[in-house]
Amino acid sequence: MTNFDSTDSQQHHATGDGATAVVTTTGLTKAYGDRPIFDDVDLDIAAGAMTAVIGPNGIGKTTLLKTLLGHVDPTAGTVTYTGPDVDRPMGYLPQEPAFRPQFTVSETVDFYASLVDAAVDTEELLCEVNLYEARNRRVSALSGGMRRLLAVGQAVLGTPPVVCCDEPASGLDPSMAQQVFESLTRRAADGMAVVVASHTLSLVEMYADHVVILESGGVAAAGAPTDLIGRYDAADLWAVYDAAIDPAAGDGSATTVGAPRRGDKPTDQDTAVSGGPTDSGGDR
Amino acid sequence: MSSLAIISTLIRRELRTAARTRGYYLLGIVVAGTLLGLTVSGGGAATGYIPTVVDLLLPLEVLVPAVAVAIGYRAIPSDLGRGEVAMLNTYAVSPSAYVGAVYLGRAAVLSAIVGGALFVVGLVVAVAAAPDTGVFATHSGVDSPILFARFLVVTLLFGNAVVAVVLVASIAVASTRTAIVAAIGAVLVVVVGGEAAILLGVLDGVFSEATLRLVLGFIPNSAYRGLVFETVVGVLSPGASGYASPLVSVAGLLLWTGGSLGAAVGLLRWRIE
Repeated sequence: MTNFDSTDSQQHHATGDGATAVVTTTGLTKAYGDRPIFDDVDLDIAAGAMTAVIGPNGIGKTTLLKTLLGHVDPTAGTVTYTGPDVDRPMGYLPQEPAFRPQFTVSETVDFYASLVDAAVDTEELLCEVNLYEARNRRVSALSGGMRRLLAVGQAVLGTPPVVCCDEPASGLDPSMAQQVFESLTRRAADGMAVVVASHTLSLVEMYADHVVILESGGVAAAGAPTDLIGRYDAADLWAVYDAAIDPAAGDGSATTVGAPRRGDKPTDQDTAVSGGPTDSGGDR
Repeated sequence: MSSLAIISTLIRRELRTAARTRGYYLLGIVVAGTLLGLTVSGGGAATGYIPTVVDLLLPLEVLVPAVAVAIGYRAIPSDLGRGEVAMLNTYAVSPSAYVGAVYLGRAAVLSAIVGGALFVVGLVVAVAAAPDTGVFATHSGVDSPILFARFLVVTLLFGNAVVAVVLVASIAVASTRTAIVAAIGAVLVVVVGGEAAILLGVLDGVFSEATLRLVLGFIPNSAYRGLVFETVVGVLSPGASGYASPLVSVAGLLLWTGGSLGAAVGLLRWRIE
């Protein structure tokens, strides 16, 4: 059911750091009626890299991912896929994934594997997402975290050139969350373009190659985590986030208790960051 | 991957889901028990297939839509709620393939439940009824298991049309919880509303006798009733038919099935965008 506003498998774009862009957005704008979600977003999603989209709750991260996937039509602008012509160009991990409870983990993976042309080693995939031991367990008997791991496996099934993951670490313990990011990083190292929307800034800072900070209206800042930290003269990505985001952005609750996890926030650095750059233009 | 391979994979998923849903076994037992109870208590079992058909026709007009709602209302809303439709959206699964496969899977479940129950009823009649019901081929005027088989086929045609109506109604609403309300509402509107509209039309003189025969074929329950009268019950008394055109009734039921599935595909596209 994948569709794109514009598809050109011959044309390849280069990202700012020289990597090959597999998905490019130009002037991407989305509004629901009178309510703007994001406006004039230009992005290059690089193959072989992890791009992280961060921002307050309700700012449009999920909508952006769904627009990249072709599940949501943009109000204006285009999404151009320039990757290889395969039967499954993009994988997707939804924000709250679940599966039919009557099936086992193995049966669920086998079902999705049967929908792709490529041969899939489902046992290896289950090992990768740490579910091999639970392969004969019914989905109804899985914890929320295990269901998410199953959804991660589903997302990368058949090795699509692009995979969009909405909150891949949500509901996972710190160790498992790290494993998921490591797994996605390995996929990126193998050439996959990995796009994650996440609130877990410590993991984003550690694993993402490119970070896009969304605020009300569009991109507040974008770049490699180290570049952003340097540009904002900040201690870490949380401090960059704190400086780049308008406190009034998001759905109201986002900037107080919403977006980043408390463990990501170096509370004693707020003052230091407040003196940093206030330009929210970024790579917009 | 071919569309046929994808559809068959999706149908197998529906059938395995149904096979592992205990509620459907209970539903099958309840339906079979109800039909057997009506057959025995109505005296149809002792007198033959056609009396049994007459006994079961009205209850089935209620029971079949109820079964269709029970097996159809959750299928697509649950997949939507779990995010599975969004995940399937990244595979080469078109909305029409998905809706078609879900429909075929659920229609097979309804056919197994209702068809199985009627088959058991037919066996009971075969054992309990008078000996002249064993005739398989003759000119009209004789009760026969073939007539009961026709009744079974026509009942499944009706039931599977209602499944399609239930599917489209369930996609139109936001959640599984509201899907059951929508499904029941849609069936009531189609069944009760359609027949009430015809009744009002007759009372107001809008429909002549000729147009009435046509219109009856386009309301699922009337079409079903008309088909049973014309192709099963009416066979015993040639010349006394004229309730509804069988051709129009079949076309009406197929139109409800195809139209509902087309609308379901359109609604699903709208829901996922």
